[in-house]
Amino acid sequence: MDPIKVEVFSSPGCAKCGRIRPVLQLLVDELGAERIEWREINVLDELDYAVALGVLSLPAIAIDGELAFRTHPSTRALRQVLEERIKAQTT
Amino acid sequence: MKEYRIGAVTTLLGMSADTLRYYEKISLLPVVHRMASGVRVYNERDISRLRFIKRAQKMQFSLKEIGDLLSMRENPQHARDEVRVLTQRKLGEVEEHLCDLKLLRGELQLLLNLCIASDEGCPIIEGIDQDEHSA
Repeated sequence: MDPIKVEVFSSPGCAKCGRIRPVLQLLVDELGAERIEWREINVLDELDYAVALGVLSLPAIAIDGELAFRTHPSTRALRQVLEERIKAQTT
Repeated sequence: MKEYRIGAVTTLLGMSADTLRYYEKISLLPVVHRMASGVRVYNERDISRLRFIKRAQKMQFSLKEIGDLLSMRENPQHARDEVRVLTQRKLGEVEEHLCDLKLLRGELQLLLNLCIASDEGCPIIEGIDQDEHSA
């Protein structure tokens, strides 16, 4: 089973972006590191990719190549989406 | 139908009088109606054609291509095969350009949003604000 691909879009000057890392790491530890593969993307490095996904503000999160959150999600909302994805993969 | 003298057309469309006369000379525009005094009078149909020419030029279409597209525009049901093919090709070019423009718009919007949200503030936006206040 392929892991769920989570991409966190951030930039060096974005104050809110740093807050999402520990939340995501916590959820990865909780739900299984083998099930979630994540990377952080500096939008300035991949501006065209970010815009193609519809990113217009930061932080934003894409899951499996689709924009899932346009701004900083709550831990609960992020957990729910990840759990739904995992459930969909296993059924 | 509303009518425009050449000076009004130059103001309206930002084209020079020489350009307008040249377009008529090379038949991009049909012979423009003239008053008894010989002064050219453009109608809404002429203005619409001229706007089409301007848009097509922004897309870097040649005057020859624009002329062919205008003939299609005049009578789309009876256009020559090569003009239909040209129109189809140009539609493809416009759609490709549109995709590029949408991406560029998104990139610029994202950059401005990043600038606004930065801790240090946004010199670009602040500059615009100052210009607006001082105007």
